[in-house]
Amino acid sequence: MKSHEEIRHRFEDQLEAVRGEVVVLGHLVVENGRRAAAAVLDNRLSRAAEVIAADDEIDSRYIHLERSVYELLARQQPVAGDLRLLVSLTRILYEMERSGDLAVNCAKSMLRQDGFRLPSTLHALLAQMTEASLDLFTQAVTALSSLEREAGIRLQRADDVVDDLTGEYYRTISIESDTLGLAAAIELSKVGRYFERIADHAVNIGEHVSYIVTGAFPRPTA
Amino acid sequence: MNAGSSAAEAVANSLRRRRSGVGGLIFEVGLVVSLLAALGILATLLAEVIQGAVPVFQDRGWGFIRGPLTLSSDTAGVWLGIVGSLTIAALVALLAFPIGIGAAIYLEEYAADTRFTRFVTTNIRNLAGVPSIVYGLLGLAVFVRLVDGIDGAQRNGRSVVAAGLTMAVLVLPIVIITASEAIRAVPGTIREAGLAVGATRWEVIRHHVLPAAAPGVLTGTILTLSRAFGESAPLLLIGVTTGLLTIPKGIGILDRLLGGYTALPVQVFTYARQPGDLQDHVAPAAIVVLLVVLLGVNAIAIVLRNRWEQRW
Amino acid sequence: MVTDQGTVFSVRNLNVYYRDFHAVSDVSFDVAKSEITAFIGPSGCGKTTVLRCFNRMNDLISTARVEGEVRFHGVDLYSPEVDPVEVRRRVGMVFQKPNPFPKSVYENVAFGPKVAGHQGKLEDLVEEMLTKAALWDEVKDKLDQSAYALSGGQQQRLCIARAIATSPDVLLMDEPCASLDPIATLRIEELMFNLKQDYTIIIVTHNMQQAARVSDRTGFFTVDVQEAGKRTGRLVEFDETGRIFTNPSRPETEDYITGRFG
Repeated sequence: MKSHEEIRHRFEDQLEAVRGEVVVLGHLVVENGRRAAAAVLDNRLSRAAEVIAADDEIDSRYIHLERSVYELLARQQPVAGDLRLLVSLTRILYEMERSGDLAVNCAKSMLRQDGFRLPSTLHALLAQMTEASLDLFTQAVTALSSLEREAGIRLQRADDVVDDLTGEYYRTISIESDTLGLAAAIELSKVGRYFERIADHAVNIGEHVSYIVTGAFPRPTA
Repeated sequence: MNAGSSAAEAVANSLRRRRSGVGGLIFEVGLVVSLLAALGILATLLAEVIQGAVPVFQDRGWGFIRGPLTLSSDTAGVWLGIVGSLTIAALVALLAFPIGIGAAIYLEEYAADTRFTRFVTTNIRNLAGVPSIVYGLLGLAVFVRLVDGIDGAQRNGRSVVAAGLTMAVLVLPIVIITASEAIRAVPGTIREAGLAVGATRWEVIRHHVLPAAAPGVLTGTILTLSRAFGESAPLLLIGVTTGLLTIPKGIGILDRLLGGYTALPVQVFTYARQPGDLQDHVAPAAIVVLLVVLLGVNAIAIVLRNRWEQRW
Repeated sequence: MVTDQGTVFSVRNLNVYYRDFHAVSDVSFDVAKSEITAFIGPSGCGKTTVLRCFNRMNDLISTARVEGEVRFHGVDLYSPEVDPVEVRRRVGMVFQKPNPFPKSVYENVAFGPKVAGHQGKLEDLVEEMLTKAALWDEVKDKLDQSAYALSGGQQQRLCIARAIATSPDVLLMDEPCASLDPIATLRIEELMFNLKQDYTIIIVTHNMQQAARVSDRTGFFTVDVQEAGKRTGRLVEFDETGRIFTNPSRPETEDYITGRFG
């Protein structure tokens, strides 16, 4: 990007550092999401408790990073790409923090129901769906790390897979509703909803990354 | 659109109108005429002098320069005048320059801005404007008498030493003023910078202020030498020889310094008072020599100043 | 207010007068080692006057009078046994407009150490200082040329090299970038980050954004206009720069940095 000699080394370093820390936060969110999915799929209440505890770390990092970004905005008067980066990071941080909360919601759902006994079809579908959603999120985090230009459009498309899986998941729940019982069916639907929204947040992150690089938001797909 | 274009037209018209009228032209013409008049007068004077002088140089050339102070127009020359003037100039340089520059350094760098300092500075300026004949009186009253008793022999004090002292006092205020101005012209930021790296006041003056002021001081002091060459009124008062003068060969330095002497402008005066060739040719020739010396001194000052200014 | 690194300057109840004019009123703060401390505020608020107390440059103004305590490593700078010449060797200064001596690049840097009686090879010292000031590569073949042949930004870096040549532990900078273009300014700011390791830096700047970018701690000064139009400066707030620029404690500070009052 730079054809002349670099002058604001320190500012450059600070931007890189903050972006790196947001990437790390993203990975922590994915990790906790997996923990939550595993808790539901393996029916382990202890794991659910871990999910809730792990979210404290995510929240405190979020607050710290927000403060860092604000301080950079106040002190460095960024413009152009630097400004887009910092403003987008605050939005991406929000998406990540919400995603972390969604994992916690899953865990709480599980605890409310004292565990789920999942029929095999549902189990398989949920496993696929959560994996697809968390994979999308991982791709979003990687896109931030590599500043992928087309992240927005690519992730919008990839989200279709998650949407399809979620649709099938809901249908299977209705089919199995008698076996599950109403309360469990409702909670399991919520779990599906949570992971679908995690995927949506991932797409948003991808769009913000595209904005950082190009200065334009990718047009939403129909 | 019409309003716009007529406004634009008005501007265009006013730009083309010329305001300077006849008054300005007359003024310019007047200035040129005055300049030409001044140059014309100078040119006439110069022409007269050179005209009178040419035959002498044609006939005798270098011999004229070396000639003694006599009434014989065939042999009269300006050598004693040159020697006398140079000696006076040397004494002036030796005495007035160190004292004057030192005083300037003190006034500009060390003296606090008190009523006393301002009193001193004002009076130095006044002294620079005092008519030179007053210095002649001073010289007569003090220096001639001083030299008179100096080595016991019967001198009358009318010597080149007394003349040098008198001229030194005369140019001293000017040296102080020009040196002060040169020192003052050194930007304060340089002094600040020097002090800020932990140099003492004297170190800053010695390493930065004086070297920076040197070109100005040098030019100013050299120009005062030309004043020393040209002044004759004080010399007349303190007893410069206006008549004949012969310095016997082989007398010692002390006798030369304490005995009779003459100076170039005074020699011109001497010759100009004698009718005949002395007045018509020798005196102009001496004037030419004087002018050449003066021009030479000024030229040196200018050359030195240019060389210094180019350095930084 | 003392940090882990230690305090270099400790100012208590500093008042500065120019004859009867009360220029600076009751200022107290500490300057921490190896930090960049910035003074900001409107014109006439006394920030340069306070800065010049740290190297006794106010002595040069005959009507200036300093009251209160200015301690440098615990020693009161204004006590009678303290030699101002020695103070200025230990506390270097860079001025608003670059003011190199009318001499060569080499002589500019060598002068301070020479009069301080430096033992050892001056050429090595000059090279070291010019390197530290990020100027060596640009002037290594021009050491004998006039300092005035350098550009504005280069001249200012030369002045920095000159100021650190006497091995001070503090570098005072009085609006050092005021007469430089933006790129030269950023270069000097970058240089300041590198110098911070070895020197404690105090910078007066009328450019708030520069203080925000560069400093670790910021002091905001303002000027009170009393009856009869007398203007006296005072310190409003002195805190970590991050805090000052994101959430200052005093409303006057917020008004100034947001540009609502000049």
